[in-house]
Amino acid sequence: MTVSSCMKKHVVSIPVTATIRDAAAVIVNKHIGLLPVVEKNGKPVGVIGIRDLLTLELPDFVSLVADVDFVHDFGAVETTRPSARTLDKSVKSLMKPPIAVEEDCGLLRAYALMLQHNLHDMLVVSKDGKLIGVASRVDIGVAVLSSWEKT
Amino acid sequence: MTLPAILATVIFFGSLIIIFSEKLHRSITAIAGGALMVIVGRVLHFYSEEAALDAIDFNTLGLLLGMMMLVAMLEPTGFFQYLAVLAARASRGKPVRLFVLLGIITTILSMFLDNVTTVVIIAPVTLLICEIIGISALPFLMSEALLSNTVGVATLIGDPPNVLIGSAAGFSFTDFLIHSLPIVLLSWVGALFLLLHLFKKELSKRPRSVKAVMRLNPAETLNEPLVARRILIVLAGAILFFFVHHALHVSPSLVALSAAAVALVWVRPNLDELFKRIEWSVLIFFASLFVMVGGLESAGVLESVVGLLERASSVPPLVFGVGLIWIVAALSAVVDNVPITIALIPVIRGLGASGMEVDPLWWALAFGAGFGGSGTIIGATANIIVVTLSERTRHPITSKLWNKRGLPVMLATCSIASILYAILYSTF
Repeated sequence: MTVSSCMKKHVVSIPVTATIRDAAAVIVNKHIGLLPVVEKNGKPVGVIGIRDLLTLELPDFVSLVADVDFVHDFGAVETTRPSARTLDKSVKSLMKPPIAVEEDCGLLRAYALMLQHNLHDMLVVSKDGKLIGVASRVDIGVAVLSSWEKT
Repeated sequence: MTLPAILATVIFFGSLIIIFSEKLHRSITAIAGGALMVIVGRVLHFYSEEAALDAIDFNTLGLLLGMMMLVAMLEPTGFFQYLAVLAARASRGKPVRLFVLLGIITTILSMFLDNVTTVVIIAPVTLLICEIIGISALPFLMSEALLSNTVGVATLIGDPPNVLIGSAAGFSFTDFLIHSLPIVLLSWVGALFLLLHLFKKELSKRPRSVKAVMRLNPAETLNEPLVARRILIVLAGAILFFFVHHALHVSPSLVALSAAAVALVWVRPNLDELFKRIEWSVLIFFASLFVMVGGLESAGVLESVVGLLERASSVPPLVFGVGLIWIVAALSAVVDNVPITIALIPVIRGLGASGMEVDPLWWALAFGAGFGGSGTIIGATANIIVVTLSERTRHPITSKLWNKRGLPVMLATCSIASILYAILYSTF
């Protein structure tokens, strides 16, 4: 079984010319966790995850203090929003390099890559590098587990 | 100048320049410089491996290692965070009060523990407190490094140059409390008021959420209260012994290493974890610098410097001492104060051997080396720590900001220390 058999074929993406604000709006409207950034030719050049966007709002101490269990109230942090200047920056300033597999990739190889790179969604590209689908951990996991029924 | 003297000088100053340029880690530079000094010394017959080993002050290394082990055991218990959270609650979220209380905690810790460790642990929790209250953390982070640099001069164990000077001059823990502490405390008060003035604008901003700070629970920050209690008991015992080590004819390094041994037996920590937290690179840096300066001494360089300074003996001793404070401070602002101190120790010792009264000069060296570090962003390791930490946040501390807020603190503390030094000169 290949990854193309379980991927979602309707892919929401944004162009490289979009801003961070645009990316957040698409993620909110489509209720998705990962947004591929594509060039005009349909090839992915990056990804914006919901985690990357939330990092803009997360307080600095979270990455510096090992244990935050004793902080029961984040106080002023809860009402802090990224500045308009940050939101109007290009998605290029925040996007991460795309990690993708080709459509004929095996399910376990795709899953292993997701584990290795700590991804929840994997981009699937055609032979000529164009984005043709996205497969989540659940999509791949369910496809693998479904074969157990035949065992 | 002889060929050995020229080569030894080139190796030492070449290493200092590389350390200053930050092109190479300071410990790597020091190891390479030390090795080169011994090789050149062997080839030209002015330095030997035995002499290099003799040049290492094991009293200094033992004292540093012992204190590092105690701190490394105390660090994961959460005790430092506990103190910071207590301060935050006591401040009731009022910025000026929080500024003073966190400053006092940093100060007390820096008097007995390494400045770098103090700042490494206090700075992240400071950022946390400031963020949840909704105020800028910059004044707090900068003042923690600056106050820590200032007050480290107060005790024998507060700052590495003091450990070096105490060991070389034979000054006891109480000698520091008598001669250094009063001057440092007044300089510290001056620094605190100056910082309050310099950061007046930032500290007058109204915090957005005071309630959050009152919901912090100090008890929850203590991961291992029993271990913390045991190490604090051992640390208190060590400090008591520091008070009487001179009378007992026991070296400070034996006190520190014995205290570490007692704590190790009592707490039995995971050694692999503990050793990861010891700053071995600092200890190696010190040992390598001792080897390099030993080479300078063997090549006759320091003798020549002593000779030059003796010719300046027409300068009144008081002016000589005050001048030394400012020269060492200026040097310490741009280069690490440890190599400067290690290089100047044999020079002062040489001046003493030629009949000059050198006790006041040792104190001048301590004040200059300690206060000078506040002058620039790279002047002290504590500064580098808070700057590096701030670079991981949305509001990095810039060199320009440091020059506006840190340099005045260096100038003020050096001025206060110079005035008091001049007034109290006869007591040294």
